[in-house]
Amino acid sequence: MKKEPIIPESKDSAFREQVLKTPVGEKILTCMQCGICSGSCPVSQEMDYSPRQLVRMVQLGLKKEVLSSNTIWICTTCFSCSVRCPRGIHPTELMETLKPIAIAEGITNRNVKFDTVFSDVIKTNGRASEFLLISKYSMTEPGMIKQLPFGLSMMAKRKLPLSVDRMENTKELGTIFKLGEKSREKK
Amino acid sequence: MKYSYYPGCAQHGTAVDYRISVEAVFGRLGIDLEEVKNWNCCGALHVPDRTVKTGLSARTLASAKGLDMATPCNLCYSNLMRAHAALEDSALRTIVNEALTEKYDGNAKPKHLLEVIVKDLGLPKLTEHVKKPLKIKAVPYYGCLLTRPENDFDSPQNPKSLDELILSLGAEPAKYYYKTKCCGGPILITDEELALGLAKELLVMAKETGADCVVVTCPMCHLQLDAKQKAVESKFNIKIDLPVIYFTQLMGLAMGFDPKELGLSQHLVPTDKLIAKIGGRP
Repeated sequence: MKKEPIIPESKDSAFREQVLKTPVGEKILTCMQCGICSGSCPVSQEMDYSPRQLVRMVQLGLKKEVLSSNTIWICTTCFSCSVRCPRGIHPTELMETLKPIAIAEGITNRNVKFDTVFSDVIKTNGRASEFLLISKYSMTEPGMIKQLPFGLSMMAKRKLPLSVDRMENTKELGTIFKLGEKSREKK
Repeated sequence: MKYSYYPGCAQHGTAVDYRISVEAVFGRLGIDLEEVKNWNCCGALHVPDRTVKTGLSARTLASAKGLDMATPCNLCYSNLMRAHAALEDSALRTIVNEALTEKYDGNAKPKHLLEVIVKDLGLPKLTEHVKKPLKIKAVPYYGCLLTRPENDFDSPQNPKSLDELILSLGAEPAKYYYKTKCCGGPILITDEELALGLAKELLVMAKETGADCVVVTCPMCHLQLDAKQKAVESKFNIKIDLPVIYFTQLMGLAMGFDPKELGLSQHLVPTDKLIAKIGGRP
């Protein structure tokens, strides 16, 4: 990703306020840029911006740069940064908070596609069957065909059943999946 | 000892070997795991909205019928634990309960199966069931979500419970500095190259300890380190050939079960040499 110099026009105070008022937002302003998050992160070297940089960018309200960076999607959610931050900022939870905001802004990538497929499968069946998930995701990512030999090796060990695991009754799930919108409305 | 039991999705698919060993071992120990009916997925790491995930776990916890809820999976455990903590907030609890038929009351405490063994049963009690002390060296690999972000049975950064379990089965826990480093599982599907790089680091370091196997507590870690080990070997042109087994399989071997009763023939990395060293029939 090409990094542009920060200019005053990049700063979006509405975005900054939006993040600061979330549960993870209250401590964001206390970040002193020590970098223990980036040092603890197993994948920071692959990120457009390290966790430390991302926290600073949220402080500045750099909406476009934050939401279009690969940082929030590459995060493996290992929580190493969160348990080490001396300010109790929880960068992993910050990444989680930014995901629905990025999706609402129309950001799309492989991770968004997979998360969408995953959420749809859960909403419909209540449970995640690996074969169904991978087949549906492969429709949007043709490169997945390369995984065919791996899939077959799993099938040979009876670890990838073709049957779909379903709950008996999924009627509550629709309401649960609306909780996200609902909790945002109340704020 | 009785728990409501939340198996999680992987037990019906990629972690069927884990399920077989859990049933065998917990049955022998007399720990009753009563599977909750009509359970739903916890959202793993792929339902992006946190409140939705809290709702999914709340629904599962609400079905626990006054018992604590045990689960074999690190992802499920961390989601249940986080929901349990988040739902202390009464405003959130009200919003979530509006969506649920059976209401969440916060009484069921989530417990990982490892916690059930080391804390509730206790290792001295477990050793009474050891018939064949394991004269092997095993790498304790905890992964991320067993102890982070929430847990109340071990240290988030330097856990010891699995080390102690290995020791109580007569085996030697290897000194392993990567024991809580991420295996890359959550990004395997969307960024395989990066995910395999993380798995390689763990496997190479595990191999260097000279251990006979790696012991895991999570289906995702197992998928990365066992099922994807071959992919790591060919991508980086290295030889690992290190069996990766669930802690319940390790317990089963020490308790004298036949390896077949523990799902050990369903691994992608052959477990024959490990079983031969223990003195069992593969």
